Amino acid sequence: MRGNPRRLAGLVVAAGLFLCVTAAWAHHAFTAEFDSTQPIKLRGTVTKMEWINPHAWIHVDVKGDDGKVTNWMVECGTPNTLLRRGFTRDTVTPGMEIVVDGYRAKDGSSRANGRDVTFPDGRKLFLGSPGTGAPEDKPSPGGNEK
Amino acid sequence: MTKKTRSMMRKWARVAVPSVLLLGAAVVWLSPARAQTPSAAKAKTSSATAVQTSRTPQGQPDLDGVWSIAFLTPLQRDPEFRDKQFFTPEEAAAYLKKRSQEVDVDRRSASAEVDTAEAYNQSWYDRGTKLGRNMRTSLVIDPPDGRIPPMTPEAKRRFENAHAYFAAHPADGPEDRNLGERCLNFSQEGPPMLPGGYNNNYQIVQTPNYVAILAEMGNKARIIPLDGRPHLPQSVSQWNGDSRGHWEGKTLVVDTTNVRFNDKSHFGVNYDGLTDQNFRLTERFTRTAADTITYQATVNDPTVYTKPWTIEIVMSKSEDPLFEYACHEGNYGMFGILSGARADEKKAAEKGHN
Repeated sequence: MRGNPRRLAGLVVAAGLFLCVTAAWAHHAFTAEFDSTQPIKLRGTVTKMEWINPHAWIHVDVKGDDGKVTNWMVECGTPNTLLRRGFTRDTVTPGMEIVVDGYRAKDGSSRANGRDVTFPDGRKLFLGSPGTGAPEDKPSPGGNEK
Repeated sequence: MTKKTRSMMRKWARVAVPSVLLLGAAVVWLSPARAQTPSAAKAKTSSATAVQTSRTPQGQPDLDGVWSIAFLTPLQRDPEFRDKQFFTPEEAAAYLKKRSQEVDVDRRSASAEVDTAEAYNQSWYDRGTKLGRNMRTSLVIDPPDGRIPPMTPEAKRRFENAHAYFAAHPADGPEDRNLGERCLNFSQEGPPMLPGGYNNNYQIVQTPNYVAILAEMGNKARIIPLDGRPHLPQSVSQWNGDSRGHWEGKTLVVDTTNVRFNDKSHFGVNYDGLTDQNFRLTERFTRTAADTITYQATVNDPTVYTKPWTIEIVMSKSEDPLFEYACHEGNYGMFGILSGARADEKKAAEKGHN
């Protein structure tokens, strides 16, 4: 069956999420807020970035097929993780062109989650290896305790 | 046998016997079957004799600083490992690769629902890039199978009732949502303190009579008096419970009771969100290296869990500051959850009328 490895990966991720129940339930919020049956792809110009907690929001002007411009709000993660890696609110500036692959808000408003946010050339918006917020694992002076 | 042969044999024996003994010892030492009992492992981490512990001006072991628990050791042990408590270096490398892929949400799921729940790009998450330095196969170290014990039949019934209520009332109001979504409490705070998707950092501040633990996730400080005062009365409960600490040698022992129990906050504080007035937590903080605090926590709630259970997490010293997680300020998500539920209801009602 085509797509089998992806399905397996999905099952593995789902199992992993189940094993980390608290984290999974916290992001259950996203399925409550956004409609998994309404995937959406947006391409537009950043008008502002709300560098706030618990989730940052990117505001994007998107021109529809009819030429009408709609301002979309795109929900992201906590700025804290990016701050630790040297990104700031100024990393995303008004005028920047971005592509958002996400899911529409259930209530029909112009909101989506930024499931995958990239530059038009496909590079992820906040480049850098994942999880580098953790401190380096230096050996302790007394030797590594097992 | 000639004298020369006997002498050669003796020489050979002098080399061979110790070599065989050494080889045998090495085989045993390197064997994957080498396991430690939980109590032996506990004793090992809490004795902390090998390292000079730095001290505060008052002579207490120094826990001060910023500490990270962003490591990929899972809470519960993968069933394939059974009673195996520690990885060999090779097993750890293989398991780390597997875990890293599991948690990497840029590898998107074929299921739209799972994909939506994964929320955003991997760059926003901070679960860590390594396994815990103690090389354990799980955070749970007791029971020996590394799994949280089953719930009691009564607790299971309460949990199922809570689930049934949640299915019928996913979002009548904010009180129906879990404590994290309400910005009230997160797994990182607990207690027990457990890693989550990000903000897996703490600042510990000590004075002669208090230890304060500020969790980056939740931006709340747990204030732990050391002066031996009694717990709050049973009638008073708090989101993070009521903690009392004292020193046992080099280990800070913290006793927590009076955790707030709410039938609706079923995905709240602890692993399954289910705690009640019988919940009692014992935590142990030991500075086991210049850059390490070994944290152990035992959950005791006999009306909920059939047995007590214990976790161990290696906290790693960080040179970074904490960043403020002002969750209440920008919680647009809660609006979205509630309006999403209203939209779902409207859709269902319209369908009903057709």
